[in-house]
Amino acid sequence: MSKVAPANPLEMLAYNISLMIEDNQIVYIGTGLPMVGAILAKKTHAPNITMVYESGGQDPLEGEMPWSVGCPFTYRKSPMTLEMAISFGQCAIGYVDIAFQGGAQIDMYGNVNTSVIGSYENLKAILPGSGGGNDIGSLTQKSVLVGLQTPDRFPAKVDFITTPGYLDGGDSREKAGLLGGPIAVVTQVGIYDFEPVTKRMRIKALNPGMSVEIAQACTGFELLVPEGEVPFIEPPRDEVLEILRNEVDPRRVFTKMPGS
Amino acid sequence: MSVAPANPLEMLAYVVSKNIQDKQIVYVGTGLPMVGAILAKKTHAPNITLVYESGGQDPIEGSMPWSVADPVTWRKSPITMEMPLSFAQAANGYVDVAFQGAAQIDMYGNLNTHIIGNDFLNPKARLTGSGGGNDLISLTENTIIVGLQTPEKFPVKLDFITSPGHLYGGNSRKEAGLLGNGPVAVITQLGVYDFEPVTKRMRIKSLHPGITIEIAQACTGFELLVPEGEIPVTETPPLDVLEILRNEVDTQKMFISFPPQ
Amino acid sequence: MEFMYATQEQFDRLVDFKGAREYHLSKSRVKKDKRMSLGEAIDRFVQDGDILAETGFSYVRSPIQAYFEIIRQGKKNMVSIGSPMSNTSYLMTANCVYAIHLSYIGVEMRGNDKNFARNIKTKKAEILSIWSHGSMALGFKAAQLGAPFIGSKQLLGSDMLKYNPYVKVIENPVGLDKSEPVVIIPALFPDVCIIHVQKADRYGNAVIEGPAINDIALAAACRKVIITAEKIVPEMSIRELGNACIPFWYVDAVVELPYGALPGCCPGCYYWAREWWEWLVRIGTPKEENVQDVMRYWIYETKDQFEFIEKLGGIRFINHATRLMEAAQANIDDSLVSFDYQEVIPKWD
Repeated sequence: MSKVAPANPLEMLAYNISLMIEDNQIVYIGTGLPMVGAILAKKTHAPNITMVYESGGQDPLEGEMPWSVGCPFTYRKSPMTLEMAISFGQCAIGYVDIAFQGGAQIDMYGNVNTSVIGSYENLKAILPGSGGGNDIGSLTQKSVLVGLQTPDRFPAKVDFITTPGYLDGGDSREKAGLLGGPIAVVTQVGIYDFEPVTKRMRIKALNPGMSVEIAQACTGFELLVPEGEVPFIEPPRDEVLEILRNEVDPRRVFTKMPGS
Repeated sequence: MSVAPANPLEMLAYVVSKNIQDKQIVYVGTGLPMVGAILAKKTHAPNITLVYESGGQDPIEGSMPWSVADPVTWRKSPITMEMPLSFAQAANGYVDVAFQGAAQIDMYGNLNTHIIGNDFLNPKARLTGSGGGNDLISLTENTIIVGLQTPEKFPVKLDFITSPGHLYGGNSRKEAGLLGNGPVAVITQLGVYDFEPVTKRMRIKSLHPGITIEIAQACTGFELLVPEGEIPVTETPPLDVLEILRNEVDTQKMFISFPPQ
Repeated sequence: MEFMYATQEQFDRLVDFKGAREYHLSKSRVKKDKRMSLGEAIDRFVQDGDILAETGFSYVRSPIQAYFEIIRQGKKNMVSIGSPMSNTSYLMTANCVYAIHLSYIGVEMRGNDKNFARNIKTKKAEILSIWSHGSMALGFKAAQLGAPFIGSKQLLGSDMLKYNPYVKVIENPVGLDKSEPVVIIPALFPDVCIIHVQKADRYGNAVIEGPAINDIALAAACRKVIITAEKIVPEMSIRELGNACIPFWYVDAVVELPYGALPGCCPGCYYWAREWWEWLVRIGTPKEENVQDVMRYWIYETKDQFEFIEKLGGIRFINHATRLMEAAQANIDDSLVSFDYQEVIPKWD
């Protein structure tokens, strides 16, 4: 019987993010859970990944969890630190393999809204704006969307397309002239991909204890369900959880459940 | 002690220096313009800042550079720029004056450094190409052309426009979308020329001592405009300036020995 | 376009944004020891038919010893691009390069490269497009920035527009004055470049001292990158200063190549072999048979940079060149260093 407490939903999210990363990739990360997931990947199955940051830090030495995108830990003894235009330029010319992105709204084609809830004319809430989100989502070969899955946050159509996913589905992303595209969505419920023809969001695997019904109930549009049985994600092994808790986020800045 | 009078190349260097005003940012290549710029800095324009095509910005003084990217052009420079950024400075309005030479110069101050002869594929002579020449004259606020004046080198029509001056005269430079005033002066072994404001044709501004309009015209392949009234004689370098030029600027006489080495 | 030698595919590949991106995506990201000999690096990463981007500035930090190795290995059918170039004409004579994108070939105030002019005149090589330094530099910079093109104000009104099929003049659709002409310069993606640097680590993180010219942009733009370095240093010594300008994942091969920029100069290391260049321009290039002699003596019958140095004068030459560089950079008391030099013709038969 394991003495290690099972993963909480945020830890599960971090773990699922880490699964998206393959060894030897160049990974573009922001702060927060994607960074936790990337560091976890580096400490487990993907020791040879290279991390690059929007603020320009390239391949920093391992250190504390960065406090912000421009935190010194993102360029700690980096061999070089790039200007912003050049750091995004790397995504466009094919030197970044995978990037992670969050959003207030994600729709069925993987479009992301970080600009406004409602509209600028009829404002319900104003969000921070694109930041580097649009750039990364437009230019990087593979992007992974990370979000809290609720019907409001997963509407059929985002109020504002800040970062284009597959736009209206089909080949509309390609026709718009964009590069790369989202390959997955990772939430507290499970992992989704995009059906190759329609480019609609599809369940790929669910976290332990979840069901297709729960996933659908947390979503504002109809999720595609793959044929056959929906796979469940193996929960993280004890040693992975211990690395996550003791080495990656020991202060539980990102993986502590609110109120716990 | 008597000082030998200026030879033609020393005169050229002096006139170049007089065309630089104090506190300007000056984009210099190698050769006589650099000699003139350093002379200016050591005489009437001590506060100029020199910037170089190779990227060196505001180097400390050193020996005469042997090449455009000589270490002396970025000797203890606080910053050395990549090439596109060094030219971008000119476009962004941070360079006041640039100097340029050419194999051919026409009446509108257009320059050719590509070919001699009108067949591009089979010219009489093939020259170096643009280098940074086109960039500087297209982007810098003011350009000064330095050259040897002969009918062949000052033809009516260029074999190739490498670097646009006033193109076809009048408004044509502006209409082409180029930046800056284009060439504002031409300095040769015979005199100093400017461009008549309306037609943008080359016009005598002053002639060096002993040079007449006839001589200047005989050394030019097109008709030079002559200003009204008496033509001024170009000021010759005072003895103390000559001594600075010889003893402090080009001590190895790389550029000012006459006839050239 | 009608070409004498180059293929349409070679011509198009220079501006193939998506092709270059695909190539970059396919490159291994493994941070491994990439050190190898110069011979192996050239053999593996410089291929017949490649678009070779020339780096450095004419003969400042240019990988001249690596170009000599390309000649010795007899690479063929390459297209050369660079601003400026000054080593290309020998690659033409050796049949390595048959076409170029030209911005400048010359030896500055020492005049035109007669060998280049002769190679074009005798149709040994052809010119595919003509640029200024700055316009070509913007093409490389656009590539580094991942921007498909950059709008510029140079080239307007010049005859170069007639000989440059890559660029296009348009009226600036986003300017205050919508009829303002601008030149659209495409992002340029050559196949391979060799960048000579003062310091690199075994993985390819590289530091450039002095003018970088276009090399930072070229490292990002080119499909393949070979670093030749005066010194291979521990990774941590680069991390300490954080002043690398080329990250390891752009780099395919790292070659320790002290004196790799000779007979050119390498900032921080050594000054030019000036007599060699003067002699090359005045004696070595005026006639084709002289060029053949130059290439036989200095390239084909010279195994590596150390033999080259022996022919230049050995340790005395190196000591003098090193002192001149130190003095030029104001790193030593230069009161006893003279920059005078003689038109000494190196000994050769």
